Amino acid sequence: MRLTVNGIESEISSPPLTPLLHVLRDELDVTSPKAGCQQGGCGTCTVLVDGEPRRSCLTPVAAVDGASITTLEGVGEPERLSPVQAAFYEKYAAQCGFCTPGMIMAATALIDRKGGPVERDEVLEALGGHYCRCTGYVKIVDAVMAASRGEVGDVQDLPVSEAGEPSVEVHGSPA
Amino acid sequence: MAKHRGRGFATIEYPTGMNQNGDPSQAWIKLKPDGRVDVFSGTVDIGQGSKTVHTQIVADTLGVPYDWVTMDNTNTDSSAVCTGTFASRGTFIGGNAVRLAAERVRERILDIASKELEIDPSDLEIADGEVLAKGSPQKKIGVADVAGAATYNYGELISGSSTALKPFADVDDATGQVEIEPHSAISYAACVADVEVDDETGEVTVLKMVQVYDVGRAINPLLVEGQIEGGAIMGLGLGLLENSYPYYPSVDHRGGEFGAYLGPAFADLPELDNVIIENPSADGPFGAKAIGEMANNAQPPAIANAIHDAVGVWVTEMPATPDRVLAALKAKAEPRRDGKRVIFDEQLSVRTVSSNGGEGYWGVEP
Ligand code: FES
Ligand code: FES
Repeated sequence: MRLTVNGIESEISSPPLTPLLHVLRDELDVTSPKAGCQQGGCGTCTVLVDGEPRRSCLTPVAAVDGASITTLEGVGEPERLSPVQAAFYEKYAAQCGFCTPGMIMAATALIDRKGGPVERDEVLEALGGHYCRCTGYVKIVDAVMAASRGEVGDVQDLPVSEAGEPSVEVHGSPA
Repeated sequence: MAKHRGRGFATIEYPTGMNQNGDPSQAWIKLKPDGRVDVFSGTVDIGQGSKTVHTQIVADTLGVPYDWVTMDNTNTDSSAVCTGTFASRGTFIGGNAVRLAAERVRERILDIASKELEIDPSDLEIADGEVLAKGSPQKKIGVADVAGAATYNYGELISGSSTALKPFADVDDATGQVEIEPHSAISYAACVADVEVDDETGEVTVLKMVQVYDVGRAINPLLVEGQIEGGAIMGLGLGLLENSYPYYPSVDHRGGEFGAYLGPAFADLPELDNVIIENPSADGPFGAKAIGEMANNAQPPAIANAIHDAVGVWVTEMPATPDRVLAALKAKAEPRRDGKRVIFDEQLSVRTVSSNGGEGYWGVEP
C-alpha cells in the first residue's frame, strides 16, 4: 500500500486493517491527528482524504490505499499559518488544543468546498460531530466564519513591540 | 402540548486563589545582558492562557515590552515549584509569584540605573524598556544598557525570585482546631438563562445565556472571555446533559464509554453574551481575582429556575433530562392524594403560616 501524506509518498508496512490514525501517528510519525475516543465520536482524528474530511480512527488504511492525505502539518507552518490557523490564533479558538487539529481540518474542507463566506449554520453543521471541552465553541465558530471571509490579519505580523528589539550594544561589553 | 419559554437566573460567590497551608507557587526571573527577561515559573498553562497572563504581568511590572519576556514555565528540570493549575489559583497565586519576583528585578534595575545616571532610584521609573528620570525623561538609560552594565561592569546577574505562600495557620493546642482561610479573594458572578421547554417530550433547549463575571481585573479580556464561554457551555452540560460523578474514580462513578457520556456539542450552542466586571482585589496581581472554576457554576441553577418559569415545575436533580422534566410535569398534573386534587407547590407554600410570627403557638411542627 502507498499513501501520499502532505505531499510525501510512502510505502506502508502496517497491516491493512490498521486504522489510518495509527499508520499516520505510529508508522509515519505524523502526530497532529489525535487519538481521542477512537470510536468516531469526537472528531480530533479528522484528516483530509483526497480533500474530504474523514475520521482516521475509523478508516482502515487499506480503504485509502493510494490516496492523498492532508493533515494539519500539511496545512500551514509556524511561520506561514493558513487562513484558518491564523483565525484560530487571532480569535483564541484553541485552549488545550486537543480538538484543534480535527476542527481545523474540517473547517478547511468546509471553506474549500464553499469557496466563499460560510454562515454560522454551515459551521455548526460541518463541525457538528467535533467535540470541544474547553472553548464552548463560540470562538471556533467566529474563527471559521472570519477565515472564510478573509478577515484575518497578516499572520507573519506576530505582535512586535513598539520599542523594538533590545539593543545588544552594552557598556563595557568585551565585544 | 406546546413549547413554553422561561427565564431564570442564579448568582454565585466563589472563593478563588486557593492557598492553604504549604502550597506555594514560585518564580525566578533573570535578565539577559541585552535586557531580555527570562522567567522560570512552575505554573502550567493548560490552555487557559496563564503563560500569556504571567508574561503580561512581568512585562508590566518591569516596564518592558511584552516580547522581551520569555516564559520557561513547563520545564520539569528548571522550573520553580508551583502547587498546580487548579482551584482558580493560576492568575492569583502564580501571578503573584511572578509579580513579586519581577518587583525585585525592577528594584535591581533601578539601583544600577541610579549609579549610571547618578539619580536616586526613587526618582526613576521604567517604561517601554527605558529607565527615565521622573519629570525629566530626557535623562534616561535603556534597560538593555542597565543589564549590560550589571553583567560586565558591576559583576551582577540581575535576578529576583519569589514565592507566593500564605503563612502557616496556627493550631490551637487546646482544641486542635485550625483557623485558615483557604481562598484569597471572593469573586461574584451571575447567569441569566432563557430556555424553551417542550412539555410533550420534556426536552429543554437553552436559547440564550448572559454571563456576568467579576474577575477583579481582566488582565487579558479575550482570555477571560474564553474562560467564561467555555465554562458557560460546560455549565449548560451540567444543567441538561451531564451526570457528574462525585466519587470518581471509584468504579461506580467512572461513567461509561465516550459515546455514552453526553456533553454539549456545537448543536447545543445558545446565544451567549458576556459582561466582565472589575471589582479589584487588594491582594491579586493588578487587582485580579480569578475566572477558572467558577465559570460553570451559575448555569445549572439558572437553567432550573428558567424551567420553573416556563412550565411551573422544579426539577430538583441535575441534569434536567427529558424524563426528569416529564416526571415533574406529571407530578404537577396529577392529584396528590386519594383521587383528590391536592396541590403543594413549594413556591406558594414555602412559609408555614402562623398567628405567632412563624412560631407555632400550639407547638405543632409543620
Ligand atoms: S478519535 Fe476518531 S473520532 Fe474520536
Ligand atoms: S480546545 Fe480543548 S478540547 Fe477544544
